[in-house]
Amino acid sequence: MIPILAWRNLWRNPTRTLVLIGAIALGVWAALFMTGFATGMIKSYISNAIDQVVSHIQIHHPDFAEDQDVKFMLENPEQAATEIAQRADVKAVTVRTLATGMISSAKGARGIKVKGIDPAQESVLTGLDQRIVDGTYLEGKRKNEILISRAIAEKLKVRVRSKLVLNMQDLQGEITPAAFRVVGIFHTGNKPFDEGHVFVARKDLNRLLTLTSEGAVDPADLGHEIAMLLEDTKNLLAVQSAISKPEWQVENYKEISPDLELYESQMEFVSTIYLSIIMLALTFGIINTMLMAVLERLRELGMLMGIGMNKLKIFLMIMLEAVFLGAVAAPIGLGLGMLTIYFLGQHGLDLSMYSDSLEMYGMSPVVYFDVPAKVYWQIPIFVACTAILAALYPAYKAIKLKPVEAIRKI
Amino acid sequence: MDVIKTQGVTKVYNPDKIPVNALNGVDINIEEGEFTAIVGPSGSGKTTLLNIIGGLDRPSDGEVFVGGQDISELSDNQLIDFRKDYIGFVFQAYNLIPVLTAKENVEFVMLLQKRSKEERDQRVKELMDSVGLLDKMDSRPAQLSGGQQQRVAVARALAPKPTFILADEPTANLDSKSTENLLDIMARLNKDENMTFVFSTHDQRVIDRARRVVTLVDGKISQDERRD
Repeated sequence: MIPILAWRNLWRNPTRTLVLIGAIALGVWAALFMTGFATGMIKSYISNAIDQVVSHIQIHHPDFAEDQDVKFMLENPEQAATEIAQRADVKAVTVRTLATGMISSAKGARGIKVKGIDPAQESVLTGLDQRIVDGTYLEGKRKNEILISRAIAEKLKVRVRSKLVLNMQDLQGEITPAAFRVVGIFHTGNKPFDEGHVFVARKDLNRLLTLTSEGAVDPADLGHEIAMLLEDTKNLLAVQSAISKPEWQVENYKEISPDLELYESQMEFVSTIYLSIIMLALTFGIINTMLMAVLERLRELGMLMGIGMNKLKIFLMIMLEAVFLGAVAAPIGLGLGMLTIYFLGQHGLDLSMYSDSLEMYGMSPVVYFDVPAKVYWQIPIFVACTAILAALYPAYKAIKLKPVEAIRKI
Repeated sequence: MDVIKTQGVTKVYNPDKIPVNALNGVDINIEEGEFTAIVGPSGSGKTTLLNIIGGLDRPSDGEVFVGGQDISELSDNQLIDFRKDYIGFVFQAYNLIPVLTAKENVEFVMLLQKRSKEERDQRVKELMDSVGLLDKMDSRPAQLSGGQQQRVAVARALAPKPTFILADEPTANLDSKSTENLLDIMARLNKDENMTFVFSTHDQRVIDRARRVVTLVDGKISQDERRD
């Protein structure tokens, strides 16, 4: 009878109850929305960083990370990459040659990182060919083709088929100038990356870097970086450990870019933070409503004690009213939230009007919402705890009533 | 046999501020099967005496025995259990639970007593029949007239098979017809089932039907008239 009584008590004032249910449902929906948005943005940032910059695992010479000098190259990178590519848990591998230099046009110059790539492998690894917005991808039709970003093209005031000059330090420490022709302009949506990198064919870059080496280094075997994508990041540490060699520095994306690990760990907490804030605010709403519900039926509560309903049962009745409130509101909020997340997970939220700002932080202008599965069972627990906590004070007030005084109340 | 016995019961409200002496040494014995009206002017202490006899309030001094048990020694929780099993209450404002039907209101105390469903169903039917509301079992209090609500309240008071029933101004909100109807029911229950009734009342119609009239003035019994 107590659950029935509590349930019916809830609907004594349907308007008030519906308003509170609406508030809790809206809070749950908002928590899901914010979690979905934040997780989507974080995942977009991590995904962009992995796809465009760091891959899952990178191999370098142990000294390369410190000053990125071209002399710190890998031994037999092609053979190593071939061996790694044979692993079933590795999706794609490529070897890159990396150099730092100056790129200049008739209108300006800027410091730049030059990535010498195998165009076919790079398109599998980073999908660079899909990001060409003008001109073509590196086709190898002629020597010294270069891909530059739209941001650099605008700054240097060049376009497809324009000539640019790259000045780099070669293996002997000599400055090597070389003219490149722009064959394509790319746009990744990651502004810092776009402003700092250009792509050339690895064989062209290797030839230029070994020009003064007089055959000491085989241009075909020069490489500074082996980058790979895995089939499943669950195997990240296992693969990293399996391919490690003493003469290599093998790092996963979290070690290369600690901010990615930070963001990944934040995904674990973001829902908890949003839920806590929203539920804390709702606590006061529930306390207020439950307190009103108790105060307006003091005489009835006194009568219940008068006819023999003990304090524990009164306490449980008030607590149950709050739990029922949450039990009705949470599924509504969850249902609406899940629909919203499903829709925005499929179609994304287009924030193109803020694309410049988002690209500054390496994020896509379209955010695809994503909510970790655990959030869907965390929410009912949060709502139940909130309802119970919020009902404690009103329930305490109820059991502190003296029946004779309560019955006298009008 | 005394169902209720008070010895030197006093009640002082606000003893530390402006003391109000509601009862000044009340001694009263009520025997099983009595139909007693406690009367007196407003502020004479009728409701206070009923609250103390019913274990809803505690005396400032004196002793209250119900069925031989000194209830002034019981803790709050013991008092709640005591009221549940031994005392039936009928309040002036009916005080039914508005979200429960008439049947559920009557059944409620028996649920607290953990009676079986069969026993509850049978007793509810008997009681609703005895107060003439068998056809209103599924009506909520708001769907009943004042007289009907008070009859449901009487059925509820009888449900736990109490030792006696305390009724605080039970006819105060009722019209003449409802009052007569209610008094007929209570008189019949008193006669047929030997149920003890104690009323506080101003209502002459109730006083006329009582077989004992105890008059309180300024917290003291000024007159105790038996009409047997």
